[in-house]
Amino acid sequence: MARMKFLCDADRCIECNACVTACKNEHEVPWGINRRRVVTLNDGKPGERSISMACMHCTDAPCAAVCPVNCFYTTADAIVLHDKDLCIGCGYCFYACPFGAPQYPRVGNFGGRGKMDKCTYCAGGPQADNTRAEYIQYGANRIAEGKLPLCAEMCSTKALLAGDGDIISSIYRERVQRRGYGSGAWGWRTAYKEGVRS
Amino acid sequence: MLIKRSDGKAARQRLASTYLGLSAGGLDRRSFLRNAGMGGVGLATLGALQPLTARRAEAGPTDFAQPITRRKNMCTHCSVGCTVIAEVQNGVWVGQEPAWESPINRGTHCAKGASSRETVHGDRRLKYPMKLVNGAWQRISWATAIDEISAKLLDVRQKNGPDSAFLLGSAKFTNEAAYLFRKFAAFWGTNNVDHQARICHSTTVAGVANTWGYGAQTNSYNDIRNAKTMIIMGGNPAEAHPVSLQHVLTGKELNRSNMIVIDPRFTRTAAHATEYVRIRPGTDIPIIWGMLWHIFRNGWEDKKFIAERVHGMEDVRREVAKWDPAEVERVTGVPGAQMERISKLFATEKPSTLIWCMGVTQHTVGTANVRALCILLLATGNVGAPGTGANIFRGHTNVQGATDLGLDVTTLPAYYGLDENAWRHWSRVWDVPYSYMEGRFGSKALMGLPGIPSTRWFEATMMPGERHKEGAGENYVQQPDNYKAMVVFGHGGNTVTRMPEMVKGLEKLELLVVADPHPTTFSQISGRKDGTYLLPICTSFEMDGSRTASNRSLQWGEKVVAPIFESKNDYDVMYMLAQKLGFAAEMFKHIKVENGQPQAEDILREINRGAWSIGYTGQSPERLKLHMQHQNDFDITTLRGKPGTPVAGDFYGLPWPCWGTPQQKHPGSHQLYNTNLHVKDGGGTFRARFGVERNGQTLLAEGSYSRGSEIQDGYPEFTVAVLRRLGWLEDLTAAERESIEFHFGPNIDRASWANDLSGGIQRVAIAHGCVPYGNAKARANAWNLPDPVPVHREPIYTARTDLIAKYPTLPDRRGFRMPHLGVSVQNRSTEVVKDFPIVLSSGRLVEYEGGGEETRSNKWLAELQQDMFVEINPADARARSIADGGWVWVMGPESGSKVKVKALVTERVAPGVAWMPFHFGGWFQGEDRRKYYPAGTDPVVLGESVNTITTYGYDPVTYMQETKCTLCQIRAA
Amino acid sequence: MRALILTLALLLAAPALAQTVPSPFTARDQAPAEELELQRALQGGTINGRVSIPDAKSGNLVQPEGQNWRLFHNRTLYTIGFVAVGGMGVVLWLFWSMKGRIRITGGPSGRTLTRFNLLERANHWMVASSFIVLMLSGLNLTFGRYLLLPLIGAEAFTSLSALGKLGHNFLSFPFVLGLVVMLLLWAKDNLPRMADIEWLKAGGGFFNNAHPPAGRFNAGQKGVFWITVVGGGLVAFTGYILVFPFFFTDIAGQQLAHMVHGVLAMVMIAAIMAHIYIGSVGMEGAVDAMTTGEVDYNWAKEHHSQWVDEQLAKAPPAAAAE
Repeated sequence: MARMKFLCDADRCIECNACVTACKNEHEVPWGINRRRVVTLNDGKPGERSISMACMHCTDAPCAAVCPVNCFYTTADAIVLHDKDLCIGCGYCFYACPFGAPQYPRVGNFGGRGKMDKCTYCAGGPQADNTRAEYIQYGANRIAEGKLPLCAEMCSTKALLAGDGDIISSIYRERVQRRGYGSGAWGWRTAYKEGVRS
Repeated sequence: MLIKRSDGKAARQRLASTYLGLSAGGLDRRSFLRNAGMGGVGLATLGALQPLTARRAEAGPTDFAQPITRRKNMCTHCSVGCTVIAEVQNGVWVGQEPAWESPINRGTHCAKGASSRETVHGDRRLKYPMKLVNGAWQRISWATAIDEISAKLLDVRQKNGPDSAFLLGSAKFTNEAAYLFRKFAAFWGTNNVDHQARICHSTTVAGVANTWGYGAQTNSYNDIRNAKTMIIMGGNPAEAHPVSLQHVLTGKELNRSNMIVIDPRFTRTAAHATEYVRIRPGTDIPIIWGMLWHIFRNGWEDKKFIAERVHGMEDVRREVAKWDPAEVERVTGVPGAQMERISKLFATEKPSTLIWCMGVTQHTVGTANVRALCILLLATGNVGAPGTGANIFRGHTNVQGATDLGLDVTTLPAYYGLDENAWRHWSRVWDVPYSYMEGRFGSKALMGLPGIPSTRWFEATMMPGERHKEGAGENYVQQPDNYKAMVVFGHGGNTVTRMPEMVKGLEKLELLVVADPHPTTFSQISGRKDGTYLLPICTSFEMDGSRTASNRSLQWGEKVVAPIFESKNDYDVMYMLAQKLGFAAEMFKHIKVENGQPQAEDILREINRGAWSIGYTGQSPERLKLHMQHQNDFDITTLRGKPGTPVAGDFYGLPWPCWGTPQQKHPGSHQLYNTNLHVKDGGGTFRARFGVERNGQTLLAEGSYSRGSEIQDGYPEFTVAVLRRLGWLEDLTAAERESIEFHFGPNIDRASWANDLSGGIQRVAIAHGCVPYGNAKARANAWNLPDPVPVHREPIYTARTDLIAKYPTLPDRRGFRMPHLGVSVQNRSTEVVKDFPIVLSSGRLVEYEGGGEETRSNKWLAELQQDMFVEINPADARARSIADGGWVWVMGPESGSKVKVKALVTERVAPGVAWMPFHFGGWFQGEDRRKYYPAGTDPVVLGESVNTITTYGYDPVTYMQETKCTLCQIRAA
Repeated sequence: MRALILTLALLLAAPALAQTVPSPFTARDQAPAEELELQRALQGGTINGRVSIPDAKSGNLVQPEGQNWRLFHNRTLYTIGFVAVGGMGVVLWLFWSMKGRIRITGGPSGRTLTRFNLLERANHWMVASSFIVLMLSGLNLTFGRYLLLPLIGAEAFTSLSALGKLGHNFLSFPFVLGLVVMLLLWAKDNLPRMADIEWLKAGGGFFNNAHPPAGRFNAGQKGVFWITVVGGGLVAFTGYILVFPFFFTDIAGQQLAHMVHGVLAMVMIAAIMAHIYIGSVGMEGAVDAMTTGEVDYNWAKEHHSQWVDEQLAKAPPAAAAE
């Protein structure tokens, strides 16, 4: 069984935001919810690099560990999903998440931020695959169709890789070897307790 | 219990196909929409509107029990030519999938491409024709709109002449629409027809064509993968052409290439460069001459290439000698060591390519800039081979095609120009008498006189025509009357400089017609109360037709969904207008029209019959559609169809020139002027366009020829006379000969490769391994231009007033029917700079495109850039107490103009330089004008337009506007 | 460790390659991802950048503090909660089993003194009832996943927790209002006095069945009072930070707020448990103070001798004795 991961090659990412709008397009994500975003470090200076970031589907996911209602679950592909019918919108996952992935539909004062929404790795939610109910709550389920997340598939420079961790890390290692530089896999240490080389 | 297992199949098969046929019986569209949540009530209230506006949000997920149609079209937001795959169910565009098979984008998109679906189904579109009545928008019917517009146009024609109507077309047109629009202008009787190329790459086209023959990118995005050294100058493809970076970065990684970015701004592209050269804005020529200074001094130039294929390089050497490292550093700010380093890389680590964009072209010296870049390529022998060339990244889907098809004030389709031969050629193609065409114009002189370009149309509403020019001095337009009517198809109102003047011009017009999917800035910016019409045009995704990407490849896009709301496509609207204006029968004589809808395929066939000069003749709709079907069969780097496939040997999209008739099966030309290939395989030479001899020197190539050529030296372009002299005339078939005799009769010797409608002359030349247009040298000295060898000229508004005396701009002059000021404006700089010390430049953001009306109406994109801003260096910000994110006023030196924007304090720009994106509109000098849009059509994001504060300054050759260096002042608001 | 060595290997390898390969600006002057993340995880701080969307918090690329917060939440807070709440339970149970109910030594006298007026009692119960809900919903949020969820199932637990969250957020208002009123009513009587030291020295008399003298409130009660007012105030303050996310502070501030909130709440819960015990089953006559407001003279004499004296001094004894 595959262990799905994301890997953003910061030496390829040009902050074109295709991943962001592809996500919006595929799942009709409403205004204000950013399941994926692109962060630019050292903006405007030499050393500038951009990284596309979303839920990393961590090993031993912090969100799942702290969720008071235990609404998270991990699929056989190691994709971390959650059940919006169980979520109470407490915000704990946002405190714990190292990547700022959890999003809430409302501003959230008085705790009324609504049910958490996040990247599903295009794998939908707990309902039956590719049903209307699943689509409305979580968006499309590309994994069930045998496809990968659209953000990575549409990445303009193929910087954002999605797929089995072993495969994408070997693609990345090959790239680094070929070109002679690479800043590493952002978030991997934090999410998977390992670097791309180990 | 909650754990869901999914198999994560590696195969990319669509389960939908498995489900196909499982459904008991297809639902019709209406019941589909009802099931999908679009209730009957909704449909009833929509009334006449077609129920095609359902969004996926309402329609729910892709229903795999329903048949899904996959349709291919092109992303409209830049010239890379990304294939968009749309999944359509019951007439609703429900999903977008990666187009893996496209050799250009290979599945990928940028933010704009990945949100194409919203562009079509967005609810901010113009939904039905509207008319401004006493300052208020009213809904009208198409019939009423066309009747009233036509009546007014005929009235203007009657009173002021056909030249008093300005027809502004679009780079978003398909090739067929662009061609039709140019033809429409011809049949209306004016050369006042233009489009966006004027403001993006008109100077490129002029500069490049004057150097080696054709005004287009010589190689391709894919071919950059072969480069060992690339210079990106005045371009930020990471934001403007993101998918091109896939090829740039992959190539760079595979070859470990040098990627040098020369730009005043440390762009997102520069961040990925191996070397970044920061220059003072407007000093491109000194940089190039400074590089050549090192190259000539060290003998790094390609002497053999220059001797065989270049004319006039000695003249360049003389000019270059003036640019020693000290002078280069004084003018540009770049130190000599860095200049030497990049010069060496470019000249010695070959193949090298030059990539440029609007940072080079949008200058008062735009054409000269382009020429200098071409000369650098020629001097180092970097033209006509893989990995080399002038890789000019154009800005819109089809700006290359629209330029090729003559949406231009200076030429008929395919660069034939406006002289009598050109008109006679196209009259033959259109099958109308030359005299008929002549009768459509105000006079024969006006028929041959270039029109007024889009950058300065508004001045032509304010200064008088020749009938009333007494007392106006030079301030008149050289046509009977000035502009009274303007018809704009797909063109924003905030894209040309000097907007406060433009607004005045807008208010002078008696008739303004905006035909666009969105109302555009034109609809709200002025104080117009009447005489304004908005026609809802569908997007490119809602129509069939071909588009020419920057690399000259044509791609056929198919209609994804029927035009939504009441919108119509360009063809239909032009046909309706032509009917009312009384020339539809002649104009559509050989174009099939079904139910009032001209057929795109048939328009392309007419283009194929006429556009010989640039080889738009082999790309029949059938061949293009075959390529779209077999995209997967092309190699990513060579773009060539793989052996054993239906497209074997063809280059993807049959990049022009694709010689001869479609039946001759020319594969197209991937790299222009590539002598290493047989002309049958897309090889070529420099074009013999400027005669055979000058001042006793030959202009034909010496000892260089394309592979397999029977003439192993330079040769002129092919005519019947040349064929006869070579003894090849007999190779023409009887039918070809008959056609030539029929069209040319006694003047048979004048029949040439470019005007022989049979294609015989081209066929015979190619059969002998010769390129139809001849084999000449490229021109380092282009004697017909204002500066035959480019010289540095300071920007009209310059902060370096000390350099004006040595490097003045051109004197005041006339051109394009209008006066053109140079030094008289530049001499003001000494005073202006005291109050406006900051150099202002403008450019593109990845999320938006052009005037931005369409992209700012797309909520997925609009969310990503919600505020207009100005980039300002921390030192300048500190001196003005400006905080990052705070509001500031940016003031321009003309018309007391000012804009209110947010400050982005960043080292991206140098001290003394500010930069603003050009996509915003809807605010004007601090006023939010949202309420002036027709209700419900205002874009999600509005903001100040940078062009509100941009200034005078035009390239002498094309009237390209200066947008990249003017002056401004900034203060906290 | 292996990752670290490999990281070093990568770093060492880079200069060798750099000789032949021009590296882009993206690969210069910057620590690689792994190293940076490791460093931030060890030294604190976030990896931050610019985003074009207005949501400034999304500029946080990696915030390793999330892991610390998780550790706090899943280990420290559980431990503190377990020790404080469970420990107090055990202590009270032991106390009960050893001492049983503390009787009024002299037996009820039949005469009463007014200890709390209606306002004081109403306010007390407002605070008390909201506190109970806050406490239960808070404990549910912390321990419910392990204690309650397996018993009642996910759907019921979510409904309960969602209700609990609503209650937790909105009952904070009466709770805080009550605290303010309490402060106004009782602060004066809760200022420390010399007698408190004696009272504490005597262990409140709990262990030797003595009755050290005390004013209106003895030192133990004062402790509960100040824990309630100050602790409650802090808990409320940190709670409001969490109820208005990103209004007052960023993610790090919210994590800190949550930590303070959690620890103080556990301490308060433990203190209040003792308070409830002693005010109800633990001591004969105590509950009357907050029900009728009238306490038995003997009870008062035993537990708040100084207060009784003060009351008698203020009013005629006859009236007091009625």
